Amino acid sequence: MRRWPGPLLFGIVVAAATGYAAIAYIPYGLMKVVIERLGQGGVNTMSYGNLANPDRQPVVRPSPDLAYSSCPYDLSAGPVAIDVTPVPGRYSSLSIFDAKTDVIFVRNDVEAGGKPFRIIVARDGQAVPAGAETVRTSHDRGIALIRLLLKDPAEIGALEALRRQSRCTAVTKLK
Amino acid sequence: MKSWHRYAIMLVGGLAVGLGAAWALTGGGMRDGGVENGPWSTSLGYGTKATDALTRAAVARGGLLALPAKETIYWSAKTDAAGAKLDGDCRYSLSGTSLDARWWSVTIYDEAGYLVANPANIWSVNGANVALDAKGAWRVTISPEKPKQGAWLPGTKGQPFHLTLRMYNPGEAFRADPARAALPHIVKEGC
Repeated sequence: MRRWPGPLLFGIVVAAATGYAAIAYIPYGLMKVVIERLGQGGVNTMSYGNLANPDRQPVVRPSPDLAYSSCPYDLSAGPVAIDVTPVPGRYSSLSIFDAKTDVIFVRNDVEAGGKPFRIIVARDGQAVPAGAETVRTSHDRGIALIRLLLKDPAEIGALEALRRQSRCTAVTKLK
Repeated sequence: MKSWHRYAIMLVGGLAVGLGAAWALTGGGMRDGGVENGPWSTSLGYGTKATDALTRAAVARGGLLALPAKETIYWSAKTDAAGAKLDGDCRYSLSGTSLDARWWSVTIYDEAGYLVANPANIWSVNGANVALDAKGAWRVTISPEKPKQGAWLPGTKGQPFHLTLRMYNPGEAFRADPARAALPHIVKEGC
């Protein structure tokens, strides 16, 4: 047995390092999967999802009361602009998640005064339009998510045009 | 056995143990770590940059894209008030008073956190659609069969379930002491 202490210690170090690395990687890995699933409408484009049901659950624990619109973004070619138009009388919020799942921005309809607003998401150092409200991030990839609370699931059709006023576009002009 | 054989065995074993431990430690979903209140639990660290790597990984597995506590508090329950696992074969009374939030909902999921098909297409109850009695209390029945009266949240026979309580824009008093706030009661009535 005296030949085992070295290998045993080595095994413990390998286990600890593997566990540590795996835990650090899990958020990135899962985010990548979600970006792919939600990104079928295109990257840097807002997709207006239908209500979650047993056949449509792109993300774990979806709320069946919320209409989710999502924009998987990629800043490698430049910043992205997110335009949000709140729906009167209903909770809505924009949240932006970076590649490791951290929230880098949240604003709800009340905080926005019920008025439309535009957020530029940009990497550190990227040029952005002068005067634009900008959120800086250290990751290229991420998701901008708009939650809109419906009073009744049947509302979703009538709110479609309003939902589509919230958009996601690559920033091409800096003026 | 040669020395490198022993190292090779420990390398493989160490990788397996490390991966297994990482998966097990992050499998608590929204449940582990944080604030407990009866059968409900949450973490006020969700969706913030300060969250540690383990919580971040657990949230990513159990509630990806969750909002921070100021925006939404997500409570998760896997048991009833008596501590027994929530069972789709049984009938439960879910009841409470108006919650200190701009809006709230209780959603029923399977153990993995997904919605399960039911004939009524109902997966949640919320503050806007529950009826309050004269004392300001509401009550919902969770059961596989539709109750004779009152609001219904369908359970699925033969399947355990989890509940998620979402509180959107919780009040400041609530956020100051969520462990002692009045949350909905989950009481088993029969199986």
